[in-house]
Amino acid sequence: MKNFFSNIWFRCIFTLLTIVLISGGLLSVLNDLLYVPEEERTERAIQSIYGDVEDFGVEYDGETSTKVLEYEFGKIEKIYDVQADEENSYILFKATGNQGYKGGTISLWVSVKMSEAGIYSIEKTLLAGFEKQTLMSKLNDAFYGNFNLQDTVETYENSYYFTTNPGESNSNLVSGATMSARAANNAVNCVITYLGENYND
Amino acid sequence: MTNFRKIASDGVIAQNPSLKLVLGTCPTLALTTMAMNGIYMGLAVTFVLICSNILVSLLRKVIPSEVRIPAFVLIIATFVTIVRLVLDKLLPAAYEVLGLYLPLIVVNCIILARAESFASKNGVIASACDGLFMGIGFTIALTLMGAFREILGSGAIFGIHLWDFSIGFFASSAGSFFTYGIFIALFSLIEGSISKKNKIKNYNKLVESKRLSDFVVTEEN
Repeated sequence: MKNFFSNIWFRCIFTLLTIVLISGGLLSVLNDLLYVPEEERTERAIQSIYGDVEDFGVEYDGETSTKVLEYEFGKIEKIYDVQADEENSYILFKATGNQGYKGGTISLWVSVKMSEAGIYSIEKTLLAGFEKQTLMSKLNDAFYGNFNLQDTVETYENSYYFTTNPGESNSNLVSGATMSARAANNAVNCVITYLGENYND
Repeated sequence: MTNFRKIASDGVIAQNPSLKLVLGTCPTLALTTMAMNGIYMGLAVTFVLICSNILVSLLRKVIPSEVRIPAFVLIIATFVTIVRLVLDKLLPAAYEVLGLYLPLIVVNCIILARAESFASKNGVIASACDGLFMGIGFTIALTLMGAFREILGSGAIFGIHLWDFSIGFFASSAGSFFTYGIFIALFSLIEGSISKKNKIKNYNKLVESKRLSDFVVTEEN
């Protein structure tokens, strides 16, 4: 018995397991203390898009829709109504586009502005995540700027979806990150589809 | 007797992890687009270095040598996770900037190398000092490189716009390699001249002390 406990392999395994257990316990406590809830992440995204909430009087009433909406291009996970001021109201989407690199997905925050005439246009898109050091860094401001349309409902009616096929009029392509661009396009295409189905009078 | 002065000078100058030992080149090249990014990364690495060195030193007589590397990696990974949790909660701007390079600190050569070569063979206070000054050396190198690239690549420093002139090359990946090479060359030049001066100084002291000892012998005679 004594030989078993003084055996080098027992000591090795015991040492590693002890470190794992203590580290795991410590990290689980810290994870509870430092947990960032989904609401706080949403507020950070809203702040990135619309600016400081207090300065601009941005209000949002939690999620408008709690159901995940599935589409051919991907899905819409969250929808928020955002009131920036008395005149301007926005719908904020968290959309995930599919057909990315190796079947991966990309999530974007898409801000859609509703004008007085009831026309909807994409104001701003923002990457929902921290993968900026990957191929995502190739999707620059110029790429996201191409999503700013005059009328998203009209694009839906004309089947004007963003694509990475070069040469087409609605092509939004980034060389060297084609599949990532496709997934980002598909996230916006989900938003266009939603607006066309729900706000097409 | 621990020579804390030597530990400090080794960490910042003689064995600067970034410019002398050329360790941790991945975050050095990728994150030095701005000076502030260099500071964020440097401080994160410094914290992990200090904490992991202290713990490795405390447990150096307990951890069997056969599993020392996996044990060190587990300890380092724990502290890196703590840094991630803290930054995500309290400094989301820093968390966003560091991005994927934050978890990559676990496999940063600097931290594992210091744990293996210093902390596992020295006392707790010396190890903590070694971690601190290695981290300071790394932070200074990254901040200087980041400032250089930010001034030339964007015409700004710490986000403050200086002028409209900018050379896009320095903001690119190729520019990062070029900048790194320039800094390593400059550092070698400066460190070499300081080292040479010190050698001459020590030699003169030795010669002086020998002359004095010769004089004493003559006196006794």
